[in-house]
Amino acid sequence: MFELFTVMFKEEWRMHSTLFGSLNFALFPVMICAIAFMGAFLLPLIGTVMDTSLLVNLMHANFALLGIMVGSFGIMGKEIMNRRFGQASLLAYSGRSLPISEKRLFLNFVVKDIIYYFILWVLPFCLGFILAAPLLGMSLHYPLLTLLTLTLSFLTGLCAVFLLSSGYARSRVAFAGATAAIVLAAAIFVFMCNGNAVALFPPIALFYSVTAGNLAISLGVIFILFALSMIFFTPEYQSAEKHYTNRHTPLAQRLTFLPQHDLVAKDIIDLFRSGIAVGQTLFSFLLPLGLIWLILSVMGGFLSPEMILFNFAAVTGVIASTMYTWLTEFDTPMSYLFLPLTVSSVIRAKTETFAMLQVIPVIVLVGVALLSGTAAYIPEALALALSISFFALSVQVRYCGLSPSTLIYNARIFLTYILLIGPPVLILIALTSAHPLFAFTGILLLAPAWYLMQRGFEIWDNADVAGF
Amino acid sequence: MPVSPDFYGHPANVPLSDTHRSDGGVMEPVIQTAHYTKTFGDLRAVNSVSLTVEKGSLFGLLGPNGSGKTTMIKMLTGQMKPTSGTAQVLGIDPSTDGVAVRGAVGIIPEQETPPSFLTAGEYLAFVGKIRHLEDTDEQADWWFDFLDFGDKRDVLCKDLSRGTRQKLMFAQAFLHKPAVALIDEPLINLDPVMQRAVKEFLADYVRSGNTIFLSTHILEIAEDICTDVAILHKGRLLHTGPVHEIIDTGTHLDDFFMDLVNRGKPDV
Repeated sequence: MFELFTVMFKEEWRMHSTLFGSLNFALFPVMICAIAFMGAFLLPLIGTVMDTSLLVNLMHANFALLGIMVGSFGIMGKEIMNRRFGQASLLAYSGRSLPISEKRLFLNFVVKDIIYYFILWVLPFCLGFILAAPLLGMSLHYPLLTLLTLTLSFLTGLCAVFLLSSGYARSRVAFAGATAAIVLAAAIFVFMCNGNAVALFPPIALFYSVTAGNLAISLGVIFILFALSMIFFTPEYQSAEKHYTNRHTPLAQRLTFLPQHDLVAKDIIDLFRSGIAVGQTLFSFLLPLGLIWLILSVMGGFLSPEMILFNFAAVTGVIASTMYTWLTEFDTPMSYLFLPLTVSSVIRAKTETFAMLQVIPVIVLVGVALLSGTAAYIPEALALALSISFFALSVQVRYCGLSPSTLIYNARIFLTYILLIGPPVLILIALTSAHPLFAFTGILLLAPAWYLMQRGFEIWDNADVAGF
Repeated sequence: MPVSPDFYGHPANVPLSDTHRSDGGVMEPVIQTAHYTKTFGDLRAVNSVSLTVEKGSLFGLLGPNGSGKTTMIKMLTGQMKPTSGTAQVLGIDPSTDGVAVRGAVGIIPEQETPPSFLTAGEYLAFVGKIRHLEDTDEQADWWFDFLDFGDKRDVLCKDLSRGTRQKLMFAQAFLHKPAVALIDEPLINLDPVMQRAVKEFLADYVRSGNTIFLSTHILEIAEDICTDVAILHKGRLLHTGPVHEIIDTGTHLDDFFMDLVNRGKPDV
């Protein structure tokens, strides 16, 4: 059992390090640690403009989100793992050739992922704070407590989405039932806590009140979610042969107004038939945004309703830009690059499909603005979200080509991504807080976005296509 | 089981040995490489390979696993850039205009990877559109019939067996009747009956004046159908020439191959 785990661990490391070199990948957690270390020195400054408890809530929400993203691999069982890893032959698929049960393989795979991403993200982040604490004259109590509660947040997010995805893979009805049960439990809990939404999340409750009971509740929730996930897990081997009529030709004909309509039609069909359109919208878009909205609404005492909307729009823009990764997950470039196509034409098609998908953040933003009584600011919020989304898309195209979900773990690329996207987003939020009309300055980002795209097309056309 | 019908107006079931070229006519190269080299770090996957493939030949690129065959095909079709050396495919340099090369030729890649969520029929329609074909439906019908997988037309590619996916990849490579096809291990997942049909098709195809560049490590197939062969080992070209020159000496291709590979040196 342990041997299988260590071999899987090595496998994950080698997959990443093969893609962008051992050093570049090894530097990734070092860089996260350095960012947290430097960020710790900003805490006194942040404390003057923001309540510390809000910062704590945001950090926990972020790590719960990270868990959700890492955990969402299980959403479609084996199929999503296939897409995630392309044509790679992994130990996780060796149930047919090795005398190990699928469940045991999957359990090892999940535990490996938990520890791997803990070392990659959670530990370096907290270590940065721990290292900075003595220099800031801060007691080590809070950084160490943060390590515990952020780890629990990460695990809660991961196990929650894992349970939902296991249910989804087994039966759509079970999935709907589990989702309804979780929402109902949350509602009852909020009611019992007199509307204190933050107390709903056990790791945050533990942070504010370190008691054995709170720790037990946190661990218990994780254990129950994880145990139920394993019980519901299904290996999903040999899916039934489904028959479909030709949708590609009529769809491509309807999309002739787009330059890459044949490829766009293929991407749209892929999106729907793979379940990514529904699954990712729920898990990678609506769920994180719901969490962000929850956190932002707690800030109602500090920010005006329109500023909450603009902050939400900026985050929506960043999260919406990850839709590009949805479009690169269901196939491998190897499946069409032997045709008379350039890499840039494939990327162009995916950006056209991406543009169509932006209707999702538009609907969400309009809905949120209407519900929060800030409908007058819808144009500003849309300008902000869409300009950030397209700019972040261009950064992904330029630096990651057709492999954004893997190349982002290259320390150099990740740092570039953060440095290119972070400042414009912060500047836009600051400008918008000065005057809502400044949200439209976001449109200026489209010029560098266009340049980055063109450079990306040129670079990826001249690069050998990497494949597993 | 369908036998190669009159796809190009030529009789089916002509003995394969008739494909061996012996006319001594004027050579018309369709693929040429000079000192073609590809390195990956310290590894020389293809090491200064110079070869010529004539029009109308069924050229077999032979070699053990890891000898550089797939890398050669990827470079010749512009999917990978050479480290050094030059090449021409139908007069086009694949390193500068890979799209033009891939537009002119047909390719069966090493891995049978049609897009997972299109059906077999949709995939051929998609390829037809990418290649701007007018008669994709008719061509697709012919291939579904010939390779006997019409019942899988509406099935998602991810649900197809490896053999059926191989048939699909075969069909997409020949959908536009290319003058040159570069095919990587095209028979490996097919059953013996289908292998026979495909071999006959290939032989018939070159008789029509087309050229096949076949990469394989199955020597029986090469001896059966190839007019010319090149033998690669650890990226180096050990031999190139007509198959009949080897067979005429009373040597089997596999003995010749084993001898060369074991020596690890060129035969010239």
